[in-house]
This record gives sequence, C-alpha cells and structure tokens, in this order.
Amino acid sequence: MIRVSHLSKRYGAQLAVDDVSFEVGKGEVLGFLGPNGAGKSTTLRILAGFLAPTSGTVAIDGHDVATDSIEARRRIGYMPEAVPLYPEMRVVEYLRFRAELKGVSRATRGSRIDDAMSQAAVLDVAHKRIEHLSKGYRQRVGLADAIVARPPIIILDEPTAGLDPNQIREVRQLVRDLSREHTVVLSTHILSEVEACATRVLLIHRGKIVAEGPTGEIQAMRGGQAVDFTLRGDAKGALSVLADVEGVAAVAALEGGDEAGVSGVRVTLGDAATAATLEVGEARGRTVERCTAALVAAGFGVREARRSGGSLEEVFASLTKDDPSGEPSAGADAGAGAGAGAGAGAGAGVVRRGR
Amino acid sequence: MTSFWPIYKRELFAFFVTPLAWVLIVVFLLTQGMHFFLLVDEFARSGAEAAGDETPLSAFFGNTVLLYMVLFALVPPMTMRLFAEERRSGTIETLMTAPVSSAAVVLAKYLAVLTTYAAMWLPTAMYLVILRRADPEGQLDWNAAASAYLGVFLVGAGYLAVGLCASALTRSQFLAMLFTALVLLSLFILGVGEFVAREGTTLHDVCAHVSVWAHMNDFASGIVDSRHLVFYATMIALPLFIATRAVDAWRWE
Repeated sequence: MIRVSHLSKRYGAQLAVDDVSFEVGKGEVLGFLGPNGAGKSTTLRILAGFLAPTSGTVAIDGHDVATDSIEARRRIGYMPEAVPLYPEMRVVEYLRFRAELKGVSRATRGSRIDDAMSQAAVLDVAHKRIEHLSKGYRQRVGLADAIVARPPIIILDEPTAGLDPNQIREVRQLVRDLSREHTVVLSTHILSEVEACATRVLLIHRGKIVAEGPTGEIQAMRGGQAVDFTLRGDAKGALSVLADVEGVAAVAALEGGDEAGVSGVRVTLGDAATAATLEVGEARGRTVERCTAALVAAGFGVREARRSGGSLEEVFASLTKDDPSGEPSAGADAGAGAGAGAGAGAGAGVVRRGR
Repeated sequence: MTSFWPIYKRELFAFFVTPLAWVLIVVFLLTQGMHFFLLVDEFARSGAEAAGDETPLSAFFGNTVLLYMVLFALVPPMTMRLFAEERRSGTIETLMTAPVSSAAVVLAKYLAVLTTYAAMWLPTAMYLVILRRADPEGQLDWNAAASAYLGVFLVGAGYLAVGLCASALTRSQFLAMLFTALVLLSLFILGVGEFVAREGTTLHDVCAHVSVWAHMNDFASGIVDSRHLVFYATMIALPLFIATRAVDAWRWE
C-alpha cells in the first residue's frame, strides 16, 4: 500500500529525515515510534502529501505523492498532530465540508458522516461549534474527518496526545477497529501505545530508522534488564543473597529508603544482550521469581518488585549503541541467538538498521 | 475541480460568520450612502446648468477619490485572512492533504471574496432607483450605470487579487494587510502621476495606463476601453498565478 524509498527531508542545514525506506502492507497497523523531534511528523507529512521530499520517493497504492499527488491524497485520510479545525464551524458542518472536499458523492455523504461520527463517538456534539469542544472531542472530530471518506490508508499523527486515560483507551480501540478495513500508520512517542495498537513497529531516531519489527519483538526488548526490589532488612545481606541466584548478572544497592530498615536493591538480569525474544522474556520472569524466593528464604520482607528500565530512551540506547565501525549489524546480535534462530535475518525478528 | 465548491462555500461562510465582515459592510454602506447623499444634494443645489455634462452618477463613480479610499480600507482586511489565517492555525495542513489542486484552492477563495465584494455593492443599486424616481423624465443613462458598475467590479477584482496574493505570501495577517494596502496605494499614487508628469513622456503614458482614477472616470461616463479591460485582466491573473505558485511552494519549505 505504501512504499517509501530513500526518503530524505532537509530543512535548511538540518536533515529532518535521513534516507528512510520502508513498506506498509494492506491491513497492517504500522507504529511510528520515536522521541519528539525524531522526524515522525515530517515523514507522515510527506506521506500525506503536505510536504515534498528533498529526495527519495513515496508511492501510495502505486501513485507517487510528488508527481501524482491528487490520486495519492485521494487514498489517504490524514490527521495532523495538532488536529487543526475550523473553530467557527459545527462538527457536522465541518465533516460535511470535509466529505465534499474529499469527493464523497452526495448520495452517500449523509450516511458516511453519520458512520464516521458514531465510530469516532462525536454524535453527541454533532451540532456544537468546534471552538466549544474539549481537547478530547476535537481529537475525535479529527479522527472522524480522517475516516469519513473511507480511504484505504489512514495516517494519524500522535492520535492520543493530550487525551485522558479513558479517551486514550477509546482511541486505541478505534484504531484496532479501523485496522479491520484500513491500513493504518500512526506515530507516537509512547512505547505502550504501539504495543496496544500496532502490528509492526518502526523506531525512528534523529531522522533515521534504527529498528523495525513485529510489535511482540519490540515488546520483549522493552521487558527491561533490571528489577528493583524494595525490602525490609539490611541491603548488604540482600546483595549477597541475590548475587548467588541463577540468572542474575549484577546487583547494586539503591539510594534512599524513607523508612528505617527498608532498603532498595537493583538486580540486573543476565543475558541482557540477547534480550529481544519472548522466550528470554519468560526466562527473565523466572529469574525474578527465584530472586524473590531466595530473599524470602533468607528472612527478608519483600515489599515490592518493580521492573525498571525499558523506557523508550533505554530501548533506544540499547539499539543505538552500535559498534563504532558503522557496519550494519542486522538483527543477529539482537535476538537470533536466543531462540529466534535465523528468523531475525529473514525479517521475523527485530532488525537493527546500521547507521 | 470538484473541490472548488466546498471551499467556496466554506470561505463565504467563514467571512460572514465573523463580526469583522459586518463591521466592514456597515462602514462601507454608510460611507457610500453619505457620499451619494452629499453629491445629490450638491447637484440639486447648483442645478443642472452649473454641473455641465457631469451627472450624479459620473460624479459618484468617477471624479472622486472617496471610492478608492473606501476600497483601501476595505480590501486589505477582506483578503488578509484568506491564506494567512489557515497557515497560522494549521488548517492549511488538512486542506492541502485533501485531494485538491492548488489552483482550485486559490480560485475558490478568490471567487468567494469577490462574491462578497459584489454583494456589498448590491445595495447601492438602490441609488439608481432613487435617481430614476427623482428624475422621471429619464435622464439617467443606464449604459453609463452598467459600465460604472463594471468598473467598480473590475477595480475591486484587481485589488482583491493583490490582497489574496499577499495573504499567500506571508503567515501574518497583519503583514498581509500592510503589504496589500502598500501595493494598492503605490499603484494609486503612480496613477496620480498622470497629472504630474509632462504629457508625451513615457512616464506620463505609464501613469495614465495604470491610473485607477482615469479608468473609473471613463467607466463612469459609459466608456469601456479595451486597454482598461486588459489592464484589469492582468491585475487579476498575475497575482492569482503568483498565489498558486506560492501555495505549491509551501510543500518545499
């Protein structure tokens, strides 16, 4: 559906998108994941035909966004990051305008607008002016606009930004519903977001794709390489107990501890380097179980065991600490050794992109 | 071009929903009404003999700067928001990612604001009715009236095209307004040069060609000069062309 090859975008001296290539197949939900300023929005804007690439090509269903722009745009429903809307219009007026603009025929327009409004759950504000809507409703009006013409491809730039947890859940559910009929590309800087919605993940950092793979693989990487224990008892004793547990690579005392007699210990799990598969995730869980059992057996009161690490930054750090030689280290060291077999090389695992 | 109508309709809606639109219309009609009243009053006082071949109609549309003064105040605020506002608020992003061509967007916005302009002049047709009633003998020259309105329409159309172009060139509504007013005033002042430069010089010819004042004098006395038509066709087409290219160019920013 979408074929991006060697896409670059330069703003003056700054290279916002740097030689990005990927494809999105029919029915996929691609999660574009990266910290703020990584080039997600710029890439999506190019896909949607709002910006022209400095070099490289984007084909939407075979139509080049630069040379055959209108045909390409006809196949896309796009929601920009800030969800710009006309404040003076009522919701239903706005959607009528957008549907007509996107060439929805007069005969089907009414039912399409009703469908979009009920899917995006904005029926109850249909006759309210957009300027009087809350952030959550505006976001959903933007979603209704993206789906109103039933385009085969839907591009959502940070669809849950600024929403409360309930609304986030609703939007994620909507994205899952949409994926039954549409190809969806969405961007986010929240790791759990792609885990909830996407079938495939693309990690982008400083304009480059640093990794891509099925969501499950990224999830496993996120598992975290350390577990923090809060326990009642002497930290030094706990350290010596934990150091002997199978699967533990290193132990360290944590600072703080507000209450007397309570201390914190960080356990770094072993085999962290080969951490990118679900099997390893399971093995890690077992290690945590063993640690807890050992502590309890030694008479410590375990109050809390909390996964630490695995934040987006840490995943990025682990992905971007490539060997300085600049050799592309495709997948092999990221998980192939630990059960995924040669799958990583064949595209089943997480593929690290060399720089 | 299927995208033309929805943009045209929305643009009209967006204009009339703002208080600014109604303020502009009221001020415009008040000024024109007062202007008309003063002229007719003057003619009634001095009598037909003193006026020579001047009629209230030709005086209203022709030999006066008041008409342009109103347009200078009217056009920049009418056109400043057309693109600048969409770019400031970001709605340009949803607009331009819909399957629309830049030319359709420019044309729809332009014709919407031109329609508004024409609608503002519509009530002044009442003045003709008043003149006709005051003078049942039929002194009123309907041809001159028609050409005067054609002139007013063309001047406005040219000015609005310049305003739209300015709005496409900057993100700031204020700058768009300033730029439009500056261009229109410069053009007007250049036209006044017709009376300053010596006859026979190139400068005089150039000034005479662009003089909105001289054009309106002709139109108001029933003369439709093809050179004037060419001038206004250029003054409409060129800014619209530049605006279309500017809209295309945003993709490359």
